[in-house]
Amino acid sequence: MTADADLRPSPDLTPAPGGAGGWVESRTGIRELSAALLHVRIPVEARTMYFGGIALFLFMVQAGTGTLLALYYKPTPDAAYDSVVSIMSNISFGWLIRSIHHWAANLMILFVAFHLLRVFFQGAFKRPRELIWVFGVGLLGITMVFGFTGYLLPWDQRAYWATVVGTEIAGAVPIVGDALLVLLRGGTDVTGATLSRFFGIHVLVLPITLAILMAVHLTLVHQLGLANPKKIDPVPGPPTGPTRRFFPEYVLDELIAWYLIIAILVVLASIFPAGMEAKANPLETPPETKPEWYFLAVYEFLKMVPKLIGIGWPMVGLAILTVWPFLERSPEVLMRRRKLVVAFATVMLAAGLFLTGVGLGFFTIPAFLYFA
Amino acid sequence: MPVAAVPVAGVPGAAPSASPEVAAAVAPPPPTAAAPAAGPASPSRRRFVRYLLGFSIVTTLALIAAPIIAFLVPPKELSAGTSGKTLAGTTTDIPPGSGKVVAMGSKPTIVVNTAEQGPKAYSAICTHLGCIVTYDDQSTSIVCPCHGGKFSPTTGAVISGPPPAPLAPVTVSVEGDQIFLVGS
Repeated sequence: MTADADLRPSPDLTPAPGGAGGWVESRTGIRELSAALLHVRIPVEARTMYFGGIALFLFMVQAGTGTLLALYYKPTPDAAYDSVVSIMSNISFGWLIRSIHHWAANLMILFVAFHLLRVFFQGAFKRPRELIWVFGVGLLGITMVFGFTGYLLPWDQRAYWATVVGTEIAGAVPIVGDALLVLLRGGTDVTGATLSRFFGIHVLVLPITLAILMAVHLTLVHQLGLANPKKIDPVPGPPTGPTRRFFPEYVLDELIAWYLIIAILVVLASIFPAGMEAKANPLETPPETKPEWYFLAVYEFLKMVPKLIGIGWPMVGLAILTVWPFLERSPEVLMRRRKLVVAFATVMLAAGLFLTGVGLGFFTIPAFLYFA
Repeated sequence: MPVAAVPVAGVPGAAPSASPEVAAAVAPPPPTAAAPAAGPASPSRRRFVRYLLGFSIVTTLALIAAPIIAFLVPPKELSAGTSGKTLAGTTTDIPPGSGKVVAMGSKPTIVVNTAEQGPKAYSAICTHLGCIVTYDDQSTSIVCPCHGGKFSPTTGAVISGPPPAPLAPVTVSVEGDQIFLVGS
């Protein structure tokens, strides 16, 4: 209680220990959080093949290139086509940004599919990781809606008519189909209202939704760790066998994979730049209109079976896929102990690949097999 | 799962809790017959490799940043003005003693059909703070609505008000009753 006490410098003014790092630590307390996030252990037997990380990286590439494109793209029927042409020819490296966006979109769907297959065949979705799988299927769905909405934006013939076909298929869903079609198109036909709607969904709704689902998905992966492909974890908790560090070893492995993906993207963008067809003409359907490759299997299937089955089976299939961890509950994770499941999944995968090949023109199906 | 350890700042040195495989991988490489005489840990070779790594990282980041920055710089305006002639109107649209603002490409231009010297044209952007001027029939002068600047319709010079400079003249070409603006 002396007057001198007021004259002492307050503790905040004394220099923090540890230089720059100490300065940041004293003002954010970040050390505890970064330790919790980075200092986890990876089982040495985990074989992720880095597909999930690549999918995350590709999303970040899409967010970056998409933001850049959005600075020049004009989302109206009159201006959209010309703005994309301008990006390709007038803007410095516009061709590179747009082509990377195009290729990363295709690769993202591919690597999400690879990731799903890896997790499925390793049984990594089993107890206690069921929720990670459910959110993952949600992420797959969002990725495909990204592809569907983004496809319309250049407003060329291919974009326009693929959207007409795609929304027609959505309209064929029983009960809610008609309402769904109007909701998707912003009206009864594909117009500027559709373009506005798809642009808003592609650029705002889906990125926010994906970010939320991704945050949950990654948090759960962090909490539960990577699955052991040799045996199911006896109890949830820290990995019991030999482990290695997440940071920096596993992180560096991921970065190498991401670096390779950058190289692949730049090579693809340079050799096969994104193209444009003629400007959209609602009065003229071009021959051989079909959706992008990731929808081709469902599209070809629809041609071969009655409409109800053609719509119904993919929807049922998606529902089964979502709840799969609750259907296959055995503790077996080795493929040779899950022969029935592996056989069934292989048949479905082969059928999907075959139908995609049919759609791409690699195989043909005899005409009599097509339904009416 | 989180291990309560103080993180080692970036260097993959041998942490006490590392598993044996990791410890072997990050331990300094054993000296080989080809190691330079600098010492068993070959500090010059290690420094060289680390320099290469740093160079690769910096180059990669630069190769990513450069196209993005170039992309963000807008292209030169290609259609700011029109070369050749723009039809501003006819002498019926703009009778003597009247004026009209038209667009030459994307540049606003004021065309005044003066009694003394026929059609004259100037940039319609006021030299004060950039508002678009109009023609005032009452005072037969070009006026700016923002701060009351006044310009002469025959020369574009400032008559009164805050504008610091005359309006830039635009070449006019009259063919018959059609008034053309010749741009650059």
